[in-house]
Amino acid sequence: MRVHGIAFRLASLTLLTATLILAAIVGYNYTVSRSMIVNLAEERGTLLAESTASQISGTFKAVQKVIDAISFSLENGNLTEKRVNELGQRILHNNPEIYGSAIAFEAYGFQQDRKYYAPYYHRTDGGKFDFTKLGSEDYQYFYMDWYQLPTELKHPVWTEPHYEKGAEYELMTTYSVPFYQSQDEHKILKGVVSADISLRWVQKLINGLSSRDDGYVFMLSRYGTFIAHPDESLVMNETIFTNAESLKLPQLRDLGRRMVTGESGVVELKGLPNTGDSFIYFSSLPEQHWSVGVVFSKKKMLADVSSLNSKVAIFGCIGFLALALLITGLAHRITHPLRKLTASANIMASGNLDAELPDAVSQDEVGELTHSFQVMRDSINNYIANLTETTAAKERIESELRIAHDIQMGILPKLFPAFPERMEFDIYASIEPAKEVGGDLYDFFFVDENNFCFLVGDVSGKGVPAAFFMAVTKTLLKVVAERRLDPGEVLTKVNSDLAEDNESCMFVTLFLAMMDINTGKVQYASAGHNPPLMLCKGKDAEWIPPQNELVAGIMDDTVYTTRSLTMQPGDTMFIYTDGVTEAMNKAQELYSEERLVEIMNQCRGKSAEQMVLTIDTALKTFTGGAEQSDDITMLAMQYLGKKS
Amino acid sequence: MKIVCDKRTAGTLLQVNGRMDAVSAPDFEKQCLQVIEDGEKTVVVDLAGLEYISSAGLRSLLTSAKKAKAAKCVMRVCGLAGMVQEVFQVSGLNSIFAVAATVEEAFAS
Repeated sequence: MRVHGIAFRLASLTLLTATLILAAIVGYNYTVSRSMIVNLAEERGTLLAESTASQISGTFKAVQKVIDAISFSLENGNLTEKRVNELGQRILHNNPEIYGSAIAFEAYGFQQDRKYYAPYYHRTDGGKFDFTKLGSEDYQYFYMDWYQLPTELKHPVWTEPHYEKGAEYELMTTYSVPFYQSQDEHKILKGVVSADISLRWVQKLINGLSSRDDGYVFMLSRYGTFIAHPDESLVMNETIFTNAESLKLPQLRDLGRRMVTGESGVVELKGLPNTGDSFIYFSSLPEQHWSVGVVFSKKKMLADVSSLNSKVAIFGCIGFLALALLITGLAHRITHPLRKLTASANIMASGNLDAELPDAVSQDEVGELTHSFQVMRDSINNYIANLTETTAAKERIESELRIAHDIQMGILPKLFPAFPERMEFDIYASIEPAKEVGGDLYDFFFVDENNFCFLVGDVSGKGVPAAFFMAVTKTLLKVVAERRLDPGEVLTKVNSDLAEDNESCMFVTLFLAMMDINTGKVQYASAGHNPPLMLCKGKDAEWIPPQNELVAGIMDDTVYTTRSLTMQPGDTMFIYTDGVTEAMNKAQELYSEERLVEIMNQCRGKSAEQMVLTIDTALKTFTGGAEQSDDITMLAMQYLGKKS
Repeated sequence: MKIVCDKRTAGTLLQVNGRMDAVSAPDFEKQCLQVIEDGEKTVVVDLAGLEYISSAGLRSLLTSAKKAKAAKCVMRVCGLAGMVQEVFQVSGLNSIFAVAATVEEAFAS
């Protein structure tokens, strides 16, 4: 495929657009699904944190109710040892989540003689109950947290989790409720009833929710100590604050602070161990001032989005490849006839008009173009054929005209000096047709030993018709003049011959003169010809007075008169056609008779030939290369006198 | 060359202006023939505005006159001046054309 070809451009533009659209779709898909997943995870995380918190606190609440009820029953009625024991046993019997329960009395509070009275019922490994009496000089329970805190604060208290020695170092928390006896409107503290609850189930619950990589749940005590965490080594050994210190994560400390104060919410933390960048959702257990945190790995959370996205991208790429193949194929197919046409057009452009053009099968633009090309080629071929024909015809005509020109010039005397053996006169003539052939004529010949005839004529119009008329006139003149008639008679006779059946109204102006070369006497006649000039020795050029007789060829009964004059040796008669005086320059100015007289006066003393050539040069200078509009003919007859 | 054709009650006036040469002469001939073929009996050709007339122009005048005569139409020429008058004079054509000095005279005679 050519890089600048239409097919390539079409395909690349379409594919580029497709790529952009695909990228936009993948990008949009990623953004939207990511935000959907994040929202979903937030919902799930928050829900999980809250449900975990409420599940745990629900259990604790049940325990609270039981112990609160016991404390109530302890405050009312007589307390015998048996009754206390019954209560202690009932607590364990009815509440499987309670590990052990103590009903501890103030010093000497139960019996006057007993300082310590605190029966403690607890479970054993076999699922049975065991009974211990707490209190001794070594274990003065009055000073223990579980006893002292509720009595001092005068309300029930959940103690911090702690390992219970008697329970094989199980993590426990204790709920303690003070109970009183009313005496004279006063409430006197009697003791504290407490319940130990193992936190193993909490840990189990929390660990069950955790899978280390995807995320996990942890629980903090009111001071930020880990109560539950998948990493057992942290439990009761570290607080979230020491953990933040060792992990060098100041944001974790901020999170700890918020969790400890009982807030709930969500934060994003970077670089957590195992889960990496993570979202942490947290919620509190208000009774215990504990807090539950749910950690979700961002990477795992978005893994689905990434996988969805890469699937979309793969499908997109496959689609793109299919599209690329399709478009390339289509573009190639669509431009195929165009390329064929281009190849043909190139061949045609190099000059071969017979180059084969592809068939215009399709109805589309290419088909139309091909059709137009065919029409154009046919037109050009026709045109060339016509042109060749026309050119050939024109060349033939031109060649014929050239021959005609040669023939026309051939019938005029062109050899100068014409009569080198005659010393009596000097004659020179020139003719220059405006076209190949013209209507001007001149001639000179002896009609007998002493009489010399010379003439100049101008047929109306130019070109071939004028040339025919000129040839006829010239022939007639010669034939008639040799009959030794005088000039007037010659013109009368020639006119009547020409006027006969002259439908086209062609006419000719003629000036004909006959000179007796011994005497210089000249007889002349004019048929509408412009008057010649006479340059006499010692005088300015003068016009030979016009007779104003009709041009020849129109009226067959016209009679021409003969006049005469005598030339002295050295005199020159200059006969010309109006092509001389009406020659035009580029400004359309005529050469004029005034200029002709002027130049004639400068020709005094020159030979006939010099005179004609001088005037011709002056004429050419005047016209300055402007197109010649009429035939130009000049004849100079210089009389030199009889040489004896 | 410019020809103004003016149809009057007395006949048709053709005013010829500019140059009448081998190129423009056929136009005059055509227009003149048209007037004659339309049945006009008097045609006056006013040459006052003519600057130049060549021999081909003279020929077309002669041809027109001949056709007018055949159609029994009278053709007159007027307004000869300057070079045109000179040509008419030298060629002797004023002897065969009915020449008048002005348009009015041409129609009047």
